[in-house]
Amino acid sequence: MICEHCKTNQATVTVTQIINGQKSERHYCEVCAAQFHPFNVDFQNEEQFPLAQLVSNWFGLQIWKSETNEKQQSNTQTTTSCPGCGFTFRQFLNEGKLGCPKCYETFSSKLPQVLEKIQSGTKHNGKVPGSSKNNHLLLKKQIETTREQLQLAIVEERFEDAAKLRDEIKEMERKLEVGGVDTP
Amino acid sequence: MNLEHFLKSDGPSWLEVKGSDADIVMSTRIRLARNLVGYRFPLSFDEQEAKQIDQVVTQALLNRKNGDHFFSHFTIKEMPALQRQVLVEKHLISPLLAKKEKSASVVISNDESISVMVNEEDHLRIQCLSPGFQLYETYELANQLDRYLEKHIPYAFEESFGYLTSCPTNVGTGLRASVMVHLPALTMSKQMKAIIQTLTRLGMVVRGIYGEGSENLGNIYQISNQITLGKSEEEILNDLQNVVEQIIQNERNARQLIMQQAPIALEDRIQRSLGTLRYARIMTSEEAASCLSNVRLGIDLDIIKDVPLSILNECMILIQQGFVQQYAGTTLQATERDLFRAKLLREKLNAKTKNSVEKGEEKYDV
Repeated sequence: MICEHCKTNQATVTVTQIINGQKSERHYCEVCAAQFHPFNVDFQNEEQFPLAQLVSNWFGLQIWKSETNEKQQSNTQTTTSCPGCGFTFRQFLNEGKLGCPKCYETFSSKLPQVLEKIQSGTKHNGKVPGSSKNNHLLLKKQIETTREQLQLAIVEERFEDAAKLRDEIKEMERKLEVGGVDTP
Repeated sequence: MNLEHFLKSDGPSWLEVKGSDADIVMSTRIRLARNLVGYRFPLSFDEQEAKQIDQVVTQALLNRKNGDHFFSHFTIKEMPALQRQVLVEKHLISPLLAKKEKSASVVISNDESISVMVNEEDHLRIQCLSPGFQLYETYELANQLDRYLEKHIPYAFEESFGYLTSCPTNVGTGLRASVMVHLPALTMSKQMKAIIQTLTRLGMVVRGIYGEGSENLGNIYQISNQITLGKSEEEILNDLQNVVEQIIQNERNARQLIMQQAPIALEDRIQRSLGTLRYARIMTSEEAASCLSNVRLGIDLDIIKDVPLSILNECMILIQQGFVQQYAGTTLQATERDLFRAKLLREKLNAKTKNSVEKGEEKYDV
């Protein structure tokens, strides 16, 4: 069978969808299936319906169900639409994208279960604006490789080279401490 | 700088041949996705918001002092479709940006190593391209610009989710690091499927360079990180670095194996491809990509000695339909494009011999 998306490769992945008890199958090749990350689905030429189903499938039907249940139950309770852009969580699941930065706050209780499936965690662990954390990767990498060269030089008893490399490392470490290469 | 500068057929700086792994890694790309506080994402914003964002970002970039780069600004709507296509093929803008109807623009550095897309899927997409395998250096370039911009533009950032992006696949670091690799031997020996599977499990994505659906056209693959949240920039880059290093090793082993087991067949395939590129009169993009891949392998293995790798890199970009039409100076039907593509390749690949032989290829008509 040929992939339904690229129509060239052999289809090896079967995506089974069960909607309202109706079962349908789609066949994709390895590559297209990998690209059909829940949010990168390129279904522009197809109807919107399967996309929403595909997304909800990927997240597990539970979210889909709990969302509908919740809607039915809590109609009068709190509104789930974002004050910044009016997006609802349902809309997010349909689009695969959020409407504005505020959505993250609005849906902060539900987003982690989505992020868990597509990311390696739900907590940011990287650069923070204005801080120097993680900002000297190149320098760190250079120090690391120079250290390796230093080790090699010592093993090979090239002591003059080793001394030079040691000084280079010291200089780079000093740079790293004072803010280093990262001038604006 | 006028747009013509970025539309001409010369290879951009990131297509130079550079680095110890230049036989396998063609280029490195870093992308940072950023958004402004107080505006809706491009998916849902209105024209007025789009305009304001465009102004704030381009002002900040064009006012940049102390930087080594000189920036030019282009509005997408004002650009003819063919020019947009050429910028897409040069990887300076994305196909999505090229299609934008609301205010959107691109700010490009004169050497084309930096391009900032405004109002693509996110308000800002800082993109840096470098030749060869230079993940950390390229990241540093993007990081410097990012640090400059964060002082002038209030970024949408939240402690636990990091940099907030329109799509949750980019949230956190907003960092997508990609390495473009030429893997003919692994493709020939049918190992790519297993490698792609493994990489997917490791949180990496593999794509073709000519966009989706062109998966192994020219045996060039783009390997990128998929995960942006939960890992630091350093971890993301280290992981990709390690994975690509292993793939380079695998490709080298596969090349050696093919050289040992079928040297004549391999050389035949490579020389035939060079012949085709030099003399064919009709050339589809698929055939061109596959021939260029074989010739590239031939250069790497020292089987072909009279063709510089830099010309091959340039050809990889030039064979795309936008460039072929740019070269022809007019829009063309698919069959006409194949004629002009063949002519273009003949000119590029016979340029060296033209000096020594009086009768050049140019006397032939397409």
